[in-house]
Amino acid sequence: MWCRSRLALEGLVREFSKVTVSPIQNFSQTACKNTVIVERWWQVPLSKEGRPPRLYARRHWVYRFVEDTKHLPQGKMELILTQTVPKLGGRGDTVFVRKSIGRNKLLPEGLAVYPSPENKAMFEEERRKLHEGKVEERIQTRTGELTVQFLKSCKLEVGKMNVDYVLTKEMVCRQFRKKLGVVVPPHALTLPETPITGLGEYWCEVTVNGVDTARVPMSVVPFESPRERRYRNWLKCQGQADAQTPGPEEMSKDDPVTPTTDNRRTDDTKSSES
Amino acid sequence: MPLHKYPPRIWDALKMKQGIYTRLPQHYLRSLQETQPPTPVHWKPLGVKYRLNPKTGARERVQDVPIPIYYPPESQRGLWGGEGWISGYRYANNDKLSTRLKKCWKPQLFVRELYSEILDHKFKITVTARTLDLIDAAYGFDFYILKTPKQDLNSKLGMDLKRAMLLRLARRDKELYPDDPVRREQVYSKYKQQFEIPEEEAEWVGLSLEEAMEKQRLLEHKEPTPQFLTCVDDLVHELAVQKLSEPQIVEKE
Repeated sequence: MWCRSRLALEGLVREFSKVTVSPIQNFSQTACKNTVIVERWWQVPLSKEGRPPRLYARRHWVYRFVEDTKHLPQGKMELILTQTVPKLGGRGDTVFVRKSIGRNKLLPEGLAVYPSPENKAMFEEERRKLHEGKVEERIQTRTGELTVQFLKSCKLEVGKMNVDYVLTKEMVCRQFRKKLGVVVPPHALTLPETPITGLGEYWCEVTVNGVDTARVPMSVVPFESPRERRYRNWLKCQGQADAQTPGPEEMSKDDPVTPTTDNRRTDDTKSSES
Repeated sequence: MPLHKYPPRIWDALKMKQGIYTRLPQHYLRSLQETQPPTPVHWKPLGVKYRLNPKTGARERVQDVPIPIYYPPESQRGLWGGEGWISGYRYANNDKLSTRLKKCWKPQLFVRELYSEILDHKFKITVTARTLDLIDAAYGFDFYILKTPKQDLNSKLGMDLKRAMLLRLARRDKELYPDDPVRREQVYSKYKQQFEIPEEEAEWVGLSLEEAMEKQRLLEHKEPTPQFLTCVDDLVHELAVQKLSEPQIVEKE
């Protein structure tokens, strides 16, 4: 009964999709194979040079199954993205994706193209223009956009020793790397024109890829060594714990909240040359 | 056994030397004669003429013996990438002393929608995984169809697509992307220098012998003129000659 229903269903399917699949194939006892590679069990005798070999014996039609390419490891496919694709990359990036993704999604939807020599040259040219061309023509990359977004939500604290000196770009860059985990080259950073000597609230500007500028509030506070900071945090926790409940069970439950330095990193937080 | 004037195996070759076959275009006849063996798909060629025997170490001559493959009619209506049915035998339990069993290895077929840039159309085609890999290797469906020679394409559908594409490229008409001239130029320039051939040749690419013969017949075909028209023409001509031959009388005043 199962066979009959399957037969009817297959007939229907074949009628709907007018495709050229052999009708015999569906009922074959042999399992479906991909590109099968076979070899002969018996060697064919050598023929004279320039003559076709003679396959006269019935044993020359006995084959041995060598391999099926279906079971080989599925390789990946190289593509060049034409648009920003989440989790893959931005325009002009060469990516290696699974074949199914490339064939069924990226290529039909026009999100990617094949890495043919012409396409490669085209995207290379585009990339060159991005770096060397005029400022107006440049386009922000996806990671650059993410970096700007991240920087806009950031706040920088710069510790200052009790000695007279002017805050330089290098110092701020170092603070960026230590506190926010963002690598900012000095030439991409703009400090206020008046030299910063005292404590207070300031602004600094970071130019990402020479296109977009993000303003980051920067507060200059007195320098605090790690030990002092730890001690202060400990004191704060103690005070909180005392204020809430002095019970020992709840003390352990209410963990000391230590403000950790934000070590978050965006995908590519490196701001390239301006 | 009947005796013929010529052995039957050369009948096909003899047929090409007479009648309408001789009037087929030269480039088409040449394309029929140039037959290369297809790329080995289902077997691994040795690729060398001599090799050292793995057991004895002696140098010996070897020969690549292709495995005969059956291409069913369905393969002509899809793109199987040179795959076909291997019908033969195997030994049970992979044991040479065991029973010989009939065996047919068949390719796994998929139906995929493939988009052609030159024809600006999506085709629903039966393909194998090998075809998809070849398309990727050629950087696109159009490149695959245009680059692959006839014996490797091994499909009537593929050759028909090839002819359509070559005709499009040869004609360079405005049917392709009617509202987007920039895109049209882009597509034409992409394939032009590699694949452009004259229109007269492109029309004959991939035609089977029967189709080519029919095409040639239609080209040569002329409607027979009715007899009364020729008779009227003859009569008119005769009368004109008669009229001219008569002496013209000019009256003098």
